[in-house]
Amino acid sequence: MSEVVTTGHRASLWARWTSKSPIVVTFFALILGLLVGAIIIITTTPAVLDAWRAMFHSWGAPGHALKVTFDNVGAAYRTMFTGSVINPSSFGHSLTTGKGWSNTFTPISETLTYAAPLLIASIGVGIAFQTGIFNIGANGQAVLGGIAGAVVGSMLHMPTVLHLPLTLLAGIAGGMLAGSVPGLLKAFTGAHEVIVTIMWNYVMYAFLLFVVLSTPFQQPGQQNDISRTMDPSAQLAPLFGTSSGLRVNYGIFVAIAVVAFAWWFLERSSLGFDFRVTGANPSAAKASGINSRVVLILVFLVSGGLAGLAGIVQAASTTHFIDGGFLIGNAGIGFTAITVALLGRNKPIGIVWASLLFAALGVGGRAMQASTGIPLDLAAVIQSAIVLFVATPVLVKELFRLRAAPTSSLQLAAKGWGS
Amino acid sequence: MTLLSTAKEPALTPAPNRRTRFIAITMGIIGLFSVLVFGLGSVAGAHSSLTFNPVNLSSSAPWHVGTLTLATRWTNIGLGIVMVALGVEVFIRRPSRGVMARFGGVAIMFLIALLLWAGRTPGPSQVSFVNVTAILIGSSAVTMVLVFGSLSGVMCERSGVVNIAIEGQFIGGAFIGSMIASTTHSFVYAAVGGAVIGGLLGLLLAFLALRYQSDQIIVGVVLVTMIGSLSSYLNLQVFTPFPQFNTGNLAPNLAIPLLSKIPIVGPVFFNQSGFFYLMLVLVGVISFALFKTRYGLHVRAVGEHPQAAATVGINVVRVRYINVVLGGAIAGIGGVAFMASQGQFQPGYTSGLGYIALAAMIFGRWRPSGAVVASVIFGLSVYLSYILVSYQVPVSIYILQMIPYFITIAVVAGLIGRVRPPAADGLPYRHD
Amino acid sequence: MRLELRGITKRFGTFTANDQISITVEPGEIHCLLGENGAGKSTLMNVLFGLLHPDEGEILIDGVATKFSNSGEAVRRGIGMVHQHFMLVPVFSVAENVVLGFEPTKSLNRVDYKKATDDIRRISKEFNLEVNPDAIVENLPVGLQQRVEILKALSHDAELLILDEPTAVLTPQEIDALMAIMRSLAEAGKSILFITHKLKEVKAVSDVITIIRQGKVVGTAQPTDSESQLASLMVGRDVALTVEKSAFTPGGEVFEIRDLVVRDDRGLVAVNGVSLEVRAGEIMALAGVQGNGQTELVEAIAGMRPVESGSIMLNGRDITNASPRAVLDAGLGHIPEDRQRDGLVMSMSVADNLVLNTPRRAPFARRGSRNLGAINDNAERLVKDFDIRTTSTQELVSSLSGGNQQKVIVARELSRPLEFLVASQPTRGLDVGSIEYVHRQMVDHRNAGNGALIVSSELDEVFALGDRIAVMYAGKISGIVDPSTSREAIGLLMTGTSDGVTHE
Repeated sequence: MSEVVTTGHRASLWARWTSKSPIVVTFFALILGLLVGAIIIITTTPAVLDAWRAMFHSWGAPGHALKVTFDNVGAAYRTMFTGSVINPSSFGHSLTTGKGWSNTFTPISETLTYAAPLLIASIGVGIAFQTGIFNIGANGQAVLGGIAGAVVGSMLHMPTVLHLPLTLLAGIAGGMLAGSVPGLLKAFTGAHEVIVTIMWNYVMYAFLLFVVLSTPFQQPGQQNDISRTMDPSAQLAPLFGTSSGLRVNYGIFVAIAVVAFAWWFLERSSLGFDFRVTGANPSAAKASGINSRVVLILVFLVSGGLAGLAGIVQAASTTHFIDGGFLIGNAGIGFTAITVALLGRNKPIGIVWASLLFAALGVGGRAMQASTGIPLDLAAVIQSAIVLFVATPVLVKELFRLRAAPTSSLQLAAKGWGS
Repeated sequence: MTLLSTAKEPALTPAPNRRTRFIAITMGIIGLFSVLVFGLGSVAGAHSSLTFNPVNLSSSAPWHVGTLTLATRWTNIGLGIVMVALGVEVFIRRPSRGVMARFGGVAIMFLIALLLWAGRTPGPSQVSFVNVTAILIGSSAVTMVLVFGSLSGVMCERSGVVNIAIEGQFIGGAFIGSMIASTTHSFVYAAVGGAVIGGLLGLLLAFLALRYQSDQIIVGVVLVTMIGSLSSYLNLQVFTPFPQFNTGNLAPNLAIPLLSKIPIVGPVFFNQSGFFYLMLVLVGVISFALFKTRYGLHVRAVGEHPQAAATVGINVVRVRYINVVLGGAIAGIGGVAFMASQGQFQPGYTSGLGYIALAAMIFGRWRPSGAVVASVIFGLSVYLSYILVSYQVPVSIYILQMIPYFITIAVVAGLIGRVRPPAADGLPYRHD
Repeated sequence: MRLELRGITKRFGTFTANDQISITVEPGEIHCLLGENGAGKSTLMNVLFGLLHPDEGEILIDGVATKFSNSGEAVRRGIGMVHQHFMLVPVFSVAENVVLGFEPTKSLNRVDYKKATDDIRRISKEFNLEVNPDAIVENLPVGLQQRVEILKALSHDAELLILDEPTAVLTPQEIDALMAIMRSLAEAGKSILFITHKLKEVKAVSDVITIIRQGKVVGTAQPTDSESQLASLMVGRDVALTVEKSAFTPGGEVFEIRDLVVRDDRGLVAVNGVSLEVRAGEIMALAGVQGNGQTELVEAIAGMRPVESGSIMLNGRDITNASPRAVLDAGLGHIPEDRQRDGLVMSMSVADNLVLNTPRRAPFARRGSRNLGAINDNAERLVKDFDIRTTSTQELVSSLSGGNQQKVIVARELSRPLEFLVASQPTRGLDVGSIEYVHRQMVDHRNAGNGALIVSSELDEVFALGDRIAVMYAGKISGIVDPSTSREAIGLLMTGTSDGVTHE
């Protein structure tokens, strides 16, 4: 991949600053992604379109059109921000009156609530990527983990100190089970994990519907696809109590634990070292004694287990039950996790920031939908656009004339079907 | 010192024997299942009636093919035994060719046995017969879409680029197609629109993969996610407030005069929408182009051994661009075809057909003709998973919905190592 | 055509691959280019075929100075190349391969296979290159595949044919057939540039011989000259690099290979019944031109390639077909031939690479967790002891020079308690300083009473290091001699000629 190097004009400070790190590329990719979102808003909001269509009607018309554009796009992005991070005016209000703190902190709380499971799943996907494996099945693994955990959480009854860990463990086990299918198939038949995982996702979705509609797991007295509610002893309780209105919960401790685990695993553990070597150079891995088949199966277990944990954390911390639409769809947590992992360069620290960013986009998207009516799918589009730009760092650099900003190994070894 | 100059990873594939045994055992299990559940699970006196009349009476033929009645239990036991026998044969003889063909045969027999069992009388089913023609017609809609998808895959992968984004091209095509068809009432314009959007997505994929050597699979997956979300968004922004952009787009069937009256198969092949006929034409055209023309020779050379192609002056990158764009356009049309068979656009309703199409392409050994055969099998299994509900099969509908995906997984797992993709498929091309 | 290369010079950085090379090829002449690996033949051919641009010098075709910007132009000017690694699409037929890029067409852009096949049959008959145009290339024996390459060049109206090590992959019978073809092509007026290291063939078929060594033309010869004369021109009479070696006092047998048979990636036999033993305190140097089975032999020893029959014993332990882990644990050190592919992880640090294949137990790991302190200490120590030039032990190995990368591998292997060391082309691509350094390490290892098998296609290295020298040719050991043997004699063994000089 040839580097694009500009000579001459953007010298000294700017060049030195922009060649610092991949964070710069990410920042510009973010800008480009938001730009893409803005274009989509402009082209699909009737008010804006009308204003532009009337562009030639009077001298003031173009200016008016611009104003309408900025108003709409601005409103959308502003509510995204205030809905996910903080609303400056309510912050100010709280400072001066000492009241309404829960209102002020709700956006951040929401973001953190959604970031936690996303982070966990993304770490799982990131570990797989570092081993050279595409775990596109994270969504299905999260679903199965959610199911397993919710079953334990709602159909077994015991005190919290036992129940909660057991529920989480069930989630991990469910994810591992789901992940073992592509793992074993690849290890013993060489089947390429991409199609197997994608197909297995659909199997998991069907299983989910089956489980919430046709088994004792269905909520008693309900005809809809809703499962039993989990016992309070199995839920991840809000940090500040339910009355505070802030949903941020103990799930973030789970997430922090996962990050710590991932960091230890990748940087310090022998097995993690083997994973990384396998991902970086499978030939050298074999020559240095690593058993690729064992690594292959284990990586799916680890990655799947984490995705499953994400699923149950999501369920246990928000809805406390799962329904037929749990995680399903193109913006399900498993797919967002892929984009987050790519954005975070597959490293734990990067993934932390990336999942915060994408959780903010998601939560902000919901707020945007609530106040401006713009559907929250737009947030998912922006996320994908950002990742596409990040996947082509050379493109971003060319667009912004960045000087050879170093790009860490985002490009995985390109491969075809079945080795 | 090798003739085959593709980069090699240390091979993870086990000896072919183990995989063959795995397939054989799977075949045996399926056969055993059929014997036990479909055969012995049927009461001794049960019989299944197969009818062959098209449901659409307006094209009823002057002929009348009678009902074929089979004794359910014995027929299914027989089918099951044949399946087990095939499994045993594969296990013992370990033939080097045709293992997956046998597996395909087992899959078809399984589906037949399943149908016979589901539609037996006396039985829980409300429907007392199995209308073979109707089933063929119904599954042909799914098959058609799968063929478009696998043709797209063939075009791209024969030149060496993996196109995971077929699902996204379906979605894009379906959306644009519905919008255009609703406003212009012309399926031709809709098809053109679908081709354009599919081609643009292909262009994007090619651009990222060829110019920036981005990983083709990652780009494909992210593109699908993006298009999926975008289509959801647009569905809410455009179709919900203006439903007139998304209605009544069922493509009418165009019956070919005499041929559609042929017993049994006439309505299946000759009374279909324009998209179906287009699909058939495309299969012929692409087969011809790939295997008979100069263009096709260049494409295949680029996909197998780009360096050899480059030394004789072929522009590898340009050939790949052209094929990926064309492939994308074909998938886009496939999306329109799907929309036209459903009547409108709904987010997510393609449910992974784009990926099943890829499996069909692999099963069909990257040949259009093979892809058609594979698409028929997959199409049947998908369609059956929809309609088995009406037969009151005592298995949850959701479990039934899993069948096509299981079959796809089995095919992909069983085929790797037995089929050869174009040798340079998915590998970035570095020209010095 | 009359081809003249005048003063062709090509440099890669500081390394001069071709140095003022001048050669003339007359029409109808079979001109042989003789030289060892690394002599610069491939570079020269790439320049001629338009794949590389010379830094100095010019190419004259029939007296006219010509420049090629790509191989397409070279082809159009009448230069055809039969590559060492065939440029054929394996799944295509002969006809499809021959016409690729120059297809005759009929209506609707269809390829006119009938015309193509007729043309092929015509050329086949004219030049005695019988091949079935409908056969699928990958099913043909290698000799016939090569014919297809030749046909391809001829069908593009080539007047000069370059054959790059064409007999490397052929059986003796196929070689004879190729010789006949070359003669008939020359008789028909084509010029042939024949690149090889095999003396018998050179003498059998060439009209003129040019010998290249280390990028320069060192002389011309006639096919009537003796093989010894040719060999000595090819390998030179220089004294080997001096390395201090203590007296040779070998101990007991520590490594033994018996009747080993190993197949290559294509399923052909690459190692054809090799037997040798190495004693403690002894370096066995395995000489031979690359491509005679050495690569597969080392891969089999290291556990990376299955052994079909025969045995490998290390200190009495059978390590035939053991996994790489087991082989390493048994005390084998391995310096792989392709250091970037098999020996190092380029994106990891020097410190990590230094413990890449060390067992994940003490001292570098404890209960599953890596002991970074021990790893770093180890790295610091090794960097100092082995003089690895790097800014820090955390630096990525990809930013090290080739020589230092190799030092990392050497350091890693030699710092473990080893029973035996196997090194393959250990100084390939290294500068003189690094070469000296690596050689010193090997000799120190041997002086300390350990055994080693060093595979090398560089005769200087073989003489410098070997206490005994085994020569491998065509998958067999063609002789085991002591280092007092003359270079010419070794050269003969390397090129398939045995003159009866074989003693332990």
